[in-house]
Amino acid sequence: MIAYLITIAILVIIAALIGLALNLQWGLAGLVNFGVVGFVAIGAYTTALTAPAIGWLPAMLLAAFVAAALSAGLALLSIRLEENYLAIITIGFGEAVRLVILNEGWLTNGALGIADIQRPFPGLTERFGGDIVFVVFAIGVLAVVFVALEGWTRAPFGRALRAIRDDATISAALGKPVFALRVRAFAIGGAVMGLAGALQAFYLTYIDPSQFSAIVTSYAFMAVIAGGRGSNVGLLVGAGSIMALLEGTRFLKDFISVIDGVQLSALRLGLIGVGIILLLILRPQGLVPEARRKAADVLAKPREAA
Amino acid sequence: MVAQLFLNGLVTGLLLALPALALTLVFGVLKFANFAVGAMLTLGAYAAWVANTQLGLSLPASAAVAAITVALTGILSDQLVFERLKNRDSISLLVASMGLSLVLENICRFFLGNASRSFDVPISRPMRWEGLRINQEQITTALTVCVCLVLAHLLLRHSPLGRAMRAVADNPSLAATRGVDRRLIARLTWALVGALIGLAGVLAGLDRSIDPQIGWNYQIPIFAAAILGGLGSPVGAVVGALVIGIAEEMSALLIPTNYRQIVSFTVILVLLLFRSNGLLSAKAVRK
Repeated sequence: MIAYLITIAILVIIAALIGLALNLQWGLAGLVNFGVVGFVAIGAYTTALTAPAIGWLPAMLLAAFVAAALSAGLALLSIRLEENYLAIITIGFGEAVRLVILNEGWLTNGALGIADIQRPFPGLTERFGGDIVFVVFAIGVLAVVFVALEGWTRAPFGRALRAIRDDATISAALGKPVFALRVRAFAIGGAVMGLAGALQAFYLTYIDPSQFSAIVTSYAFMAVIAGGRGSNVGLLVGAGSIMALLEGTRFLKDFISVIDGVQLSALRLGLIGVGIILLLILRPQGLVPEARRKAADVLAKPREAA
Repeated sequence: MVAQLFLNGLVTGLLLALPALALTLVFGVLKFANFAVGAMLTLGAYAAWVANTQLGLSLPASAAVAAITVALTGILSDQLVFERLKNRDSISLLVASMGLSLVLENICRFFLGNASRSFDVPISRPMRWEGLRINQEQITTALTVCVCLVLAHLLLRHSPLGRAMRAVADNPSLAATRGVDRRLIARLTWALVGALIGLAGVLAGLDRSIDPQIGWNYQIPIFAAAILGGLGSPVGAVVGALVIGIAEEMSALLIPTNYRQIVSFTVILVLLLFRSNGLLSAKAVRK
């Protein structure tokens, strides 16, 4: 049971990282990204391919860097586009990544994937058991990312992004470098997705293209919508409850014998779709709405002063 | 070889023309990009498969079943989802249509599984003409699409419904003051769009095996075609579809066929960079 809870915890952490990244790009900066899974895959493969040669920490940093560089590149090309166009470009990017991974067998071993990826801290792992060490490590990564993103959200950078999301024209008129800020937000999000991919590669110790289907992107959107766009705390709540629901429904198979594995997975995915639609219609602000600051909160309060 | 690829591309392009036209019509009249177009195509293919192999209907009858099923699905999703979100920003509609896409695809998967299926049609030998191989399915596809396009053209250009649709697309509030009922037009648009996508699903099922991902495989080419023609322009969508179909097939001369799917993506990217309004006119693409 403990082992199962740890597994869920790690899956939640990976989902939360991806969700946090999307929350920065879409929730805070208003840039829709349907190619999330492509960046996660890039992170995972970069880690898996380079970790044996350069060690796990440089490999993770490289994964974040490569994913960030590709994000920035894609953003430079397409971020000026209106959201419908950005959406299809990012879908196309995700598919392109999948095709390259499938077809460039010399690099990625194609559909067979890469096995025997070494986890960090092999010494500690032998002493305490693998998953416990890994879950602590994963929590550490999540904490660092969360603190960094939450800091940026409160910093002028985050405020400028919100302003751009709400009205790009006014922000530009007020002298905010709209384009540069958007590219930066996209790149930082990409880096975090790359890190999530690295964690996934380390945790499963085996990656193949089938792990990186468009479903990953759907989960991330569900998490951001459920948590409340723009709210990092909400995102953690959202990602946690969704993964718990998803993992919890795995047990349904034991009780309901009429549906088989394929049907169960179809049911879960279909429910994700229903959930996205219902939340958008009924509770667009999410479970933990983004804090709306008014000018009065920042300025001195005249009434109390008087 | 080149002529053969061109011919195949032409037929692929014709197949793409129906969903691309559907995408562009929804964008024009209802002002959002329907990312569920691929999943609706899948639904059409499965509806026809059920009618054809389980109920034993002929292929034309099955195609009618598919068109009606997807048309009803379109009207229903408009009623349940899109109408309730019409006052939100277009990203909400976009993400909602993505959610709808998950729902539709997994309804098909839930009831019919992941297995590949095909229609119960006699296998026919391809005809040979001037060294070209022409399949029976290709002729069926070309004829069906051409008839549909002519009908759609007549409907859009020369009928009161078409006039009303163009009025709503142009200026919804002005259309409303002139007594055009937006809700009715939205429903009729979905009926038309659903029928087009459903038929395309049947044709896609003739071309390749039917599985839950069949529509998703067409998603990017469909968008590429509609964007190439300028989102919102029906004639543009058809022209765009032909260009994309031919470009995809002809790309076999230059790049490995594994990478065929990247062609549409590249076309969109290059097009948006250099001629952001599409080949024909379009609404603003830049923020």
